[in-house]
Amino acid sequence: MTLIPQIDESACLAHGDCAVLAPQVFALEQDVAVVIGDGPDALVRPAARACPAGAILLVDRDTGEEVE
Amino acid sequence: VRLRPAAWYVEHDIELRLGTAARRLDPRGRRLELASGELLRYDRLLIATGAVPGRPALLSAGANVQVLRTLDDALRLRAALARRGRLIIVGAGLVGQEVAATAVAVGARVTLVDLAAAPFDTLLGPALGPWLGDLHREAGVDLRLGVRVTSVHGTGRIRALRLDDGAPIACDHVLVGTGVRPATAWLAGSGLEPEGVAVDAEGRTALPGVFAAGDAACPPDPLAGRHVSAGHWEAAARQGAAAARAMLGLPARPPALTVVWSDQHGLRLQRVGDPRGADRATVDGDLRAHDFTVTYERAGRPVAAALVGRPGALPAVRRRLHAAGATQPERKAA
Repeated sequence: MTLIPQIDESACLAHGDCAVLAPQVFALEQDVAVVIGDGPDALVRPAARACPAGAILLVDRDTGEEVE
Repeated sequence: VRLRPAAWYVEHDIELRLGTAARRLDPRGRRLELASGELLRYDRLLIATGAVPGRPALLSAGANVQVLRTLDDALRLRAALARRGRLIIVGAGLVGQEVAATAVAVGARVTLVDLAAAPFDTLLGPALGPWLGDLHREAGVDLRLGVRVTSVHGTGRIRALRLDDGAPIACDHVLVGTGVRPATAWLAGSGLEPEGVAVDAEGRTALPGVFAAGDAACPPDPLAGRHVSAGHWEAAARQGAAAARAMLGLPARPPALTVVWSDQHGLRLQRVGDPRGADRATVDGDLRAHDFTVTYERAGRPVAAALVGRPGALPAVRRRLHAAGATQPERKAA
């Protein structure tokens, strides 16, 4: 696990794709997605990429850099 | 389709009354009249009655012609696609394009017809209209652009459509995706526009205490110089939130860049910002490989971007556009 997801709340429109694909990592709280736990990169990355609004940033835990 | 469980409405002290039509708005008395004749008083009123699909008169009847708006419409279309027949789609907007992409993928033979010669310029901006048309063609969609449906053959069922460019096209099923009109005719006589309610950026109408959002609302479009319905899910979600803040007297959030997305032919297509009127388009990546970003500039300033097959790049692209001040399209000179 090296990818840390972060939600851009101004961009999130609560589509919920992330919470469907990685329910142990993302959840919808009222009208915004929140990070609720950790998950393997193989789960976190596709869930973040599925976001239609592009509201989930992935940061490399070791370098602190944002990754695509 | 319920978006939230019944308990949510109870918890939030919301009385939910479905299957209840509004008949008349009385702005002086601040009352809403329901179809039952019951009058509801309001301090604040939100009009979110949405839109209804339009249908050309020629395609208004037939056992095998439909629009796509409701769950029942979707189930009916799925059943038709499962028969892998010949599908004609009239209208190459977002609905027509997405259905065409899905239908060819499940083995239907698809003809996509549009009055406009360049209907694909809208989704990803004008620089990518031809690319998007090619994407459909290469996937097997038969495109008939800049043509009109002139007649319908068959009784009870439509057997073929004739276009103004020649021979009839045989079909088993017809989908009409020619756009929607605001469901606001019930507002006639209220002082609001029955053809779609003009609002400001926070959803305020011309009437005190009355707001509108979504497909029923027409916010200002600075580039077009008039009020128009945005016609997209994303815009409706943002307008609803903005109107709620204004109704509660909360300060407006800073405007966000519009994001539109579509999944077609196995590709995630995304657009951020408004590419209309762009005078320059720069490609980064490979159009043939379906992996690229196009940045649109207007008068030397980046105003929008289109992303194909690059969902991970969207956060960074959006930040770049924000930093360049692309959030608000510049107002048209008066």
